[in-house]
Amino acid sequence: MAPTSEGLQPADFAVTAERAVAACSGLGLREQASHLAGDGLLGVVAHEDVGGLDLPLAFAVPVVAAATSGLLGFPLLETILLGQLLRQPVPRLAAAIVRGEVLATIAWQGSVIAEREADTVLLNGWVARAPCATEVDHVLVRIGADRAALISIEADGVVVEEGAGLDLTVLEHGMRLESVAIPEERILRDGAWARLCSDANVLRAAAILGSAGACLSLAQEHASTRRQFGRALSYNQAIRHALARQKLGLEGMRHAITRSLGELAGALERDAAFLAAAACGTSISEGALQIHGGMGFTWDVPVHRHIRRIRSLQAQGDASGLIAALGRRYVAEIAPAAEAAAAQ
Amino acid sequence: MTVIETEPPEAVTADSLSGEAYRVAMRRWLRANLPAGFRSDSAAFVAPTLQQSIAWEAAMHRTGLAGITWPQAYGGHGRTLREHLIANQEIGALAMPESVNSIGKELAGPIILAVGTEEQKRRFLPAILEMRDIWCQGFSEPEAGSDLASLRTRATRSGDNWRINGQKIWTSGAYRSQRCLVLARTGPLEDRHRGLAMFAVRLDAEGVRVRTIKSIDGRESFCEVFFDDVEVPQSDAVGAPNEGWAAAIRVLEIERATNRMYRAWRFENELRHLISACKTDPVLAQLVADSRYAARIGEVVVDIEVLKAHVETVVDALVSGDRIGARGSLAKLHWSEAHQRFAALALELLAQASMPLLPAVKVARRRFEAIYLQARAETIYAGTTEIQLGIIADRILQLSRGK
Ligand SMILES: Cc1cc2nc3c(=O)[nH]c(=O)nc-3n(C[C@H](O)[C@H](O)[C@H](O)COP(=O)(O)OP(=O)(O)OC[C@H]3O[C@@H](n4cnc5c(N)ncnc54)[C@H](O)[C@@H]3O)c2cc1C
Repeated sequence: MAPTSEGLQPADFAVTAERAVAACSGLGLREQASHLAGDGLLGVVAHEDVGGLDLPLAFAVPVVAAATSGLLGFPLLETILLGQLLRQPVPRLAAAIVRGEVLATIAWQGSVIAEREADTVLLNGWVARAPCATEVDHVLVRIGADRAALISIEADGVVVEEGAGLDLTVLEHGMRLESVAIPEERILRDGAWARLCSDANVLRAAAILGSAGACLSLAQEHASTRRQFGRALSYNQAIRHALARQKLGLEGMRHAITRSLGELAGALERDAAFLAAAACGTSISEGALQIHGGMGFTWDVPVHRHIRRIRSLQAQGDASGLIAALGRRYVAEIAPAAEAAAAQ
Repeated sequence: MTVIETEPPEAVTADSLSGEAYRVAMRRWLRANLPAGFRSDSAAFVAPTLQQSIAWEAAMHRTGLAGITWPQAYGGHGRTLREHLIANQEIGALAMPESVNSIGKELAGPIILAVGTEEQKRRFLPAILEMRDIWCQGFSEPEAGSDLASLRTRATRSGDNWRINGQKIWTSGAYRSQRCLVLARTGPLEDRHRGLAMFAVRLDAEGVRVRTIKSIDGRESFCEVFFDDVEVPQSDAVGAPNEGWAAAIRVLEIERATNRMYRAWRFENELRHLISACKTDPVLAQLVADSRYAARIGEVVVDIEVLKAHVETVVDALVSGDRIGARGSLAKLHWSEAHQRFAALALELLAQASMPLLPAVKVARRRFEAIYLQARAETIYAGTTEIQLGIIADRILQLSRGK
């Protein structure tokens, strides 16, 4: 990976992030925010104008991976992206997010309708899959297909549902918006949502990588120490091969993420990184549960927390919709065979 | 020898172009010179004869598309591994036939470069690139496939030379080769991988007998090779005696990681061909746009992107001076299984074509039926899937095998 002008490498952030994530254990959301901000992690990709480090997205990858590996209970991916995204429309708010003073999240599913009324815009509709929405100050919601708006959670007409979803570490919330009035400046320009999703997909892949890596380590450790028939489980070829397949999946997603951040990479590479992670991440985490046997089904073994996390990330990025869309896009770009038809 | 008349490669001399300029020149040259009949996605396709393949590959070498990273002193082009990758991307993009000398260029050559003598490098390497010597790989035996360390073909000292006795099997292309890279036992069988040596055996030497075996696709591409008191000069022993195993492992690492580096891009060419053919048929056009098939095509696209990522990671690692080691197994395992899944999908789609078959669908059927059958071998050769999984478990995950 190319070093930056200051000679920093993304991997340098992994150690800081692991330490910071471990230190967040047991803290409330706001305390976590100031802790993570203190280590420079919330503004890793945000512009310097808003107090960020202005580093390429590759630097957020180890941070987000460390966060899920350590089961951080904070909407980190959303915070990192919002610190960057909100610089143009609301720089002061973006700066406060980067400093960890204001908390924000993103509702990944659903969209609202916007109607102009005098100086304000009224938002109506349903959104969902907003991590930690009850505890934050602001939520970014999608408007129509490709715009977005930042709303205050305190605004009149915002009804946040109780937390739900598989992920216990970061609960997701649905929200109903009834004539929520926001100033024009809180509306992000056209195309903002698509760009946000594209960055989010890379970071989701990184998050899944973190969780899947943790699962594989747990499974590896269990296979080496648990004894059956007088031998370690890892003596058995079926177990060795299952773990080897998981390693293949893990390295595939790691390389796909690196590739998606290369100079020539575009939407295809980014979507592919997320989709590879979504597919391999689920099989690695479910496979790790299987290798733990009955123990894997217990609450105490953290594998289930990672499965929950990975499944939520998969849904937040709409992996099944995206893979069909990717296929359709690919098919649409290819012209019917001409040469073969003409030659007959 | 058939001479392929090619256009001059626009001032492509060994040092004149690099990086993307090299890509552009190679792309132009390939597109201008690859005979239409060589392209399996074309209605005009007719499998080239051996002489045509030899002539074509010699022309590719003259242009700068073979021996890319080999030193100029041995007939190579002295370019970077990144340019090797670029060339492979361009080669992969066109549905051209497999090399008839890939063992020479991608296995024997690199191993001779690594462990051969200076004299061997000067003697063997230019002959490989100029297609004067086609090589085959004589590792597998009837009693030693996955368990190569139990091979029995024996090499014994005979004065200053060696005498080889035994039998090899599944030796791809032996019938058309001049040389075979033979792994043979110099010590006792119980020594397993100690006491193995490698030899560059001439296939026209007295005592060598080659018998072709008909394979699943009806072709006779792989062979049995019998060695009956074959005299091999010491100058054809590759690497030190007793170090044949280490050299063989290196060959296999190369085979799994960098061999046919164009695979990801050829795979993409195949997917694009499949879709373009389907689009000429109203029934298939609807199927590929249908959500269920679109999602499966999406999965193939992701498989291809992941394969590219594996290949590029290997290149990056090599460029920064790392050995490939066991990592080659990751790319090999992913590629072989992903390609089989794709080949099955291609058959499934094409089986649903409207009748009578449209011309483009006919071309695609012919190509993808062949690919489907050939892909059956991909999880077997260069070490089976089970062996790759074992390597990853042992050498990458380092899982304990002990009690
Ligand atoms: C098209 C083709 C081209 C080839 N070209 C060449 C060539 O040019 N030169 C050359 O030297 N060889 C070549 N081979 C041979 C190839 O390398 C061997 O076929 C391969 O290594 C497997 O060996 P085998 O066929 O003896 O199968 P076996 O080793 O007998 O294996 C049979 C099955 O058992 C499984 N198995 C074996 N051992 C284990 C284990 N320990 N754990 C779990 N499963 C196991 C295997 O995975 C396989 O599924 C070629 C093969 C094919 C199909």
